[in-house]
Amino acid sequence: MLNKPTAPIRERLIESERLMEQTGCYNGITELSLRNDDPLRFETLHTKLRAYCVSAREMARRISASPGVREVGEMVVAIYTPEGDAIALSNGIMVHVHTMSRFIKWMIRNGYEENPGIRDGDIFANNDAFIGTVQVPDVMDVMPIFYDGILVGWAGAVCHELEAGGITPGGDVALAQERFTEGLFVCAEKVGENDELRRDYVIRCERNLRMPIYWVLDEKAKVASCIDMRESVKSLIDEIGVDYWLKVSKEFIEEGRRAQLARTRQLTVPGKYRGHTFYGHVTEGKPGYQPLGDPNWLYNIPIEMEVGLDGKITMDFEGTQPWGYHSMNCTPAGMDGGMFVTLTQHMNFEGLVNDGAWMATELKLPHGTWTNPDNELVATATSWALLLPAYGVFQRLLSRSFVARGFVEEAFVGQVNSPMIEMGGVSQYGTPFGMAHFECAAAGSGALAIKDGLDTAYVGWNPESDMGNIEIWEQNMPMLYIGRSIVPNSGGAGKYRGGCSFESTWLINKTDHLRLVTSEHSSRVFDNAGMCGGYPAPTCQKHRAVRNSNVFELAGQGRPLAHTPGQNPYHSDFEMRFEGEFELVEGPYITAPHKSGDIFSHSYNGGGGYGDVLERDAEKTAWDVENGFLTKEAAEAVFGIVLHEDADGMPLPDFDATARLRKRKRAERLEKAVPVSQWLEKERERVKHADFAPEVRKMYASAMKLSQRFTREFDEFWQVDGKAVFAKDAK
Amino acid sequence: MTHPIVIGIDAGGTMTDTILVDRDGHFKIGKSATTPKNESEGFIASAEDAADAWGCTLEELFSGVNVVLYSGTGMLNTLLSRTGRKLGLITTKGLEDMVLMGRGLQAWADYSYADRLHAVTHQHPDPLVPRRRTHGVTERIDQFGDIVLPLYEHEARAAAKKLIADKVESICIMTVFSHVNPTHEKRIAEICREEIKAAGVEIGVYTSHEVRPVIREQSRLNSVLIEAYATARGRMQLKSIENASKKYGFKYGVQTLLSFGGLTSINHPRLHETMISGPIGGILGAAYVGKLIGNDSLICSDMGGTSFDMGVITRGQTRIENEPLMDRFKLNVPTLHLDTIGAGAGMILKVDPLTKKVSLGPESAGSDPGPICFARGGTEPTIADCDAILGRLNPDYFLGGKVKLQVEKARAAFKEKCADVLGVGVEEAAEGMIDMLEADANNALRRVISGQGIHPSEFTLLSYGGSGPLHLAGCSKGIGFKDIITFQFAAAFSAFGCTTADFMRRHSVSTQIDVSGKPEAAALTSVGEKVSEVWRDLADAAVAEMLADGHAREKITTTPFLMMRYTGQLEDVEVISPLPVVASAQDMQKIIDEFEQVYAKVNHRVSRYGEAGYSITELGLVATADKVKPVLVKRPLGKSDPASAHKGIRQAYIGGRWHAANLYEMDDLQPGHEVIGPAIIEHPATTLVVHPGDQVFVDEWTLLHYRHS
Repeated sequence: MLNKPTAPIRERLIESERLMEQTGCYNGITELSLRNDDPLRFETLHTKLRAYCVSAREMARRISASPGVREVGEMVVAIYTPEGDAIALSNGIMVHVHTMSRFIKWMIRNGYEENPGIRDGDIFANNDAFIGTVQVPDVMDVMPIFYDGILVGWAGAVCHELEAGGITPGGDVALAQERFTEGLFVCAEKVGENDELRRDYVIRCERNLRMPIYWVLDEKAKVASCIDMRESVKSLIDEIGVDYWLKVSKEFIEEGRRAQLARTRQLTVPGKYRGHTFYGHVTEGKPGYQPLGDPNWLYNIPIEMEVGLDGKITMDFEGTQPWGYHSMNCTPAGMDGGMFVTLTQHMNFEGLVNDGAWMATELKLPHGTWTNPDNELVATATSWALLLPAYGVFQRLLSRSFVARGFVEEAFVGQVNSPMIEMGGVSQYGTPFGMAHFECAAAGSGALAIKDGLDTAYVGWNPESDMGNIEIWEQNMPMLYIGRSIVPNSGGAGKYRGGCSFESTWLINKTDHLRLVTSEHSSRVFDNAGMCGGYPAPTCQKHRAVRNSNVFELAGQGRPLAHTPGQNPYHSDFEMRFEGEFELVEGPYITAPHKSGDIFSHSYNGGGGYGDVLERDAEKTAWDVENGFLTKEAAEAVFGIVLHEDADGMPLPDFDATARLRKRKRAERLEKAVPVSQWLEKERERVKHADFAPEVRKMYASAMKLSQRFTREFDEFWQVDGKAVFAKDAK
Repeated sequence: MTHPIVIGIDAGGTMTDTILVDRDGHFKIGKSATTPKNESEGFIASAEDAADAWGCTLEELFSGVNVVLYSGTGMLNTLLSRTGRKLGLITTKGLEDMVLMGRGLQAWADYSYADRLHAVTHQHPDPLVPRRRTHGVTERIDQFGDIVLPLYEHEARAAAKKLIADKVESICIMTVFSHVNPTHEKRIAEICREEIKAAGVEIGVYTSHEVRPVIREQSRLNSVLIEAYATARGRMQLKSIENASKKYGFKYGVQTLLSFGGLTSINHPRLHETMISGPIGGILGAAYVGKLIGNDSLICSDMGGTSFDMGVITRGQTRIENEPLMDRFKLNVPTLHLDTIGAGAGMILKVDPLTKKVSLGPESAGSDPGPICFARGGTEPTIADCDAILGRLNPDYFLGGKVKLQVEKARAAFKEKCADVLGVGVEEAAEGMIDMLEADANNALRRVISGQGIHPSEFTLLSYGGSGPLHLAGCSKGIGFKDIITFQFAAAFSAFGCTTADFMRRHSVSTQIDVSGKPEAAALTSVGEKVSEVWRDLADAAVAEMLADGHAREKITTTPFLMMRYTGQLEDVEVISPLPVVASAQDMQKIIDEFEQVYAKVNHRVSRYGEAGYSITELGLVATADKVKPVLVKRPLGKSDPASAHKGIRQAYIGGRWHAANLYEMDDLQPGHEVIGPAIIEHPATTLVVHPGDQVFVDEWTLLHYRHS
């Protein structure tokens, strides 16, 4: 056998893949013999490996200087087979379990065993998405595990760095249009030997980052956790023997594959499911953008999910748009990551998940699209912008399947983006700094089919979501919170509403140079829908800022300040209370530096709703209004719920008036309704004449250029010649 | 026996344990059901049970003791059942929603691994103060303590008036960075008190900088809210314990246990510091036993029905956890660090018919309905059922025979739900489940040890709790402990531990002292002076408080400590100062060196980064005063044959087959006795299983040493 442990690792990898191809089972393991011999020992060992990962991650979190890692847990660690398949993993940002796997395999395929060599105590790092990560700030470190001179596995760890040294501070660099402006790249590089990071590598980091301490201490934290896992695995091998280890670690993966298939068969109904979403990115007229591509981008993300009779899930992105000169492109590694994190949240959460689950799925990523660019120079700094809506669709498709099978309580309306704010310039200590603010890791979740979504405590990329303490964030940036509050009506409406988001309002303090940049906004189109009649998650908010505000003057006089932009989009609370120069910015915020006395607000996103708004409970709605999750006006206009006030001015439902209003609303719906055939005919006229916004026309034209299937289906459905219709828009 | 001098009582969720100790270290145990509505009833019933065992009356007991020590769960129950006070909150304007938003992590913290990932299960805890009684007041102080926006006093006054009109029972005040500069909180409190006085009502006012002057506003908010919400009734309960004690002739004040391991009077101003005290007793007891046996590196492990708690004492030091969770609220109360995993005899066992995956817990059958073998309505197999099926538990001697175990019932259910699904025999499956539980615990112990940077052979394992000795063999196997010890009083070890505590105060202040990576001598000297000055002030305050409690000055000792990190990090390492004062640059360097050592031990040497410089974020001091403690009696070793404790033979399934195991009565074992496995040593409240070939030796303190073959 070629994949015996002493063979070169590249041969072992090829052999392992060949066996999978041949037998359909991981590494050719057609029978789980160790599991069958002693199922309890098998389970115990797997639980042990998970425990190694969980505690290694906890140790790393203690070391980190980054609030991203320490406060909000942006980290994951895992143990891999020699060929780079994940055996066991910690909690945290699950996205990266398979991206690290790609990184290890990439090194093996590229002859790293010969040069630069893979030896005990070596440390390899990577943040190149085409090798295996999602975006530049996701820096991963792996270390080989040797036992008696044989490579028996890998320990890996990844943290999301708060500063990556790109053209703008932070890591989610919206301004990047090619990879050359994304920041410091470490491309599958040997960065340490003998359990120590190389000094020259640390110096490179120190000299190329705005805030090197985050990156450097996180590197140390990752290395410490890898060593910790490695030593644990070695002492486990002392106990169970190396042959048993090599065999059992692979059986865990095959078992994981089978468990995923079984779980899918149990929870879903086989068949084809289709869904889609859109994402709009407005950059027209913004400073810093090179005229490489379109000023405004509109992406259509159609997805076909097929659940096979054997439980295999296939996701096909045929019909989506090509990559572009923007930062939202994604690599297959990132697409894998999205799949993995979604599966672990909805089907594979019992903690013994591994790469086997990934093997029970398949992604069809059309070459040349944003999901699989045919150019490795593209930027991927804000992959999440498209990745999250895409996997939000996956969540909705899965949920439809859960509901169809009767697992109503598992249904979960898909995730959306939570825009990020990053910053740099001169800190409150008078020193240069740069940071991504990770409070975005606590947005509103989509609704469930049995209750409202979770408010201010969910993001798709990390189910252990959190926003961190104000007092910790303020130690790292020259801005003070004067508001951090729930955004009313930010959850998509429905019988069960989406979780609400929050918004922060800051007073810039003790600096005369603060650059603020934001990313991941879909401000003109919803980036995910609701379910079963629920409304979509609202689009993201615009930014409001006041430069040279009179806040200190007002404060000196004890006059009221604005602590949020308020509820009136035409005349914000900022304009009502403050004097100064007002800014209202849609999409990414990329402007001139701010200074002390300026005010800035940034808000995160809520989730989509589930079910008919007219079925929403009136008492729950009164509670929502009392607590600021919903406005009284929306309760009436959207939900048809009439509230009156008690003696304290608190809302109470008026059941009779509500029943009357809802009756009227239902009647209005019927009045407005037309037969589908009639509506389609009307729309077809628009399609025939390409009567759409330029971005929409370009969106269709570019999809048709790439995909014959999409074109055919479009033509068949609308009974038009799509290519001819959009000929003028096809560049 | 002489008269008891200390009564230690640990009121747990279901049982209230009492331990009576005399000057010579004799002790007796009492047990009674906890009475949550009026804890003093359970307290007296449990004390009476112990007094009976001692052979004295309650009056004789209470009039003769010097110390009554009570650690209860009343305040925790008030919090869990949301039956505390009606609160109002005044906070920094713009941040009022923090009571609803919480920390996002509170929506999943304390969940099992699976549910942490399974997003649809996440939910915020119910807030302790509703948004409608939360008022914002314009003000802002920054991290340096500078006032950036002045306090709008008129808003504070309006808020106070509204809360008084809303008939709140307490007003809490929490503003951002009040621990650095409390001016605004103090002024808001003054305004509230003025308004309360003007309204002629009685409302408590709590400020976050007084309750918990430490960074992280959400944790500080939770601390002040919980103090105001839950401790008022707790204080009454403690008072009723004291009154009950006095009724029977007790002459002094009742003491309670702080979460960081000292005793304090029940009039302690920050009672929420006593809310996580139950398991703390075990660590204190361990430290005490450690001194006795001459080993200062110990792991104590407490296994009950649902959890396996582990505490560590490394070379005499215990680790402090600064951000524990309480009912899913993040607090910043220093608490003796405990690692906990879900592993206990009550854990429900499941085998997924689809994937054949075995899961232990996290649900526990608790005491109601309890395991199937209790025959109180439990239908899900548990570890205790496996113990009964395998003959490890005596069906006729559980809780001294008060509960008759229905072994056949357990066996039938376990066969159907677990063994048959797995496709293996009942005994094999039952032992496999126990092995999994013990392997979990075993693994957790290894992890805890590896975090200490010390070889396992330096550590002694202490095992206690109702199920501790039952699973001791598997939990400790193969780790290579120096020694493994359990106790005749294993089931009341936490109560025993409470009686070994000293009187204590822990004072600290947040600081922002930075030392560069390559400091000049002058800089070190100046930092040293600053540090010494703070320690002096803290010592004065702590000693004054203890003098006021009636302790003699010469009995009070102080130990200064620092919370340090590399500049830029977010987590501190607690460094016990190797020196009482910092008198020179060399002294300060010694402290930095000590930090480097402690840091490398906890976090691995590869993660050191002295180039970044050092930050001292908190300076503190622990003041202690001695208390009379139980002494364990040392008796000469007698003959090794344990025949005098032998009570028969029972079939027990261990290591894949049935054995005729010798049965011993634990209380009848004498110093010098050696028990060779397979054997089972029984006590009404616990059972020690001795695996074939393993040995138990009873030493001169009557401690039971377990030796793996």
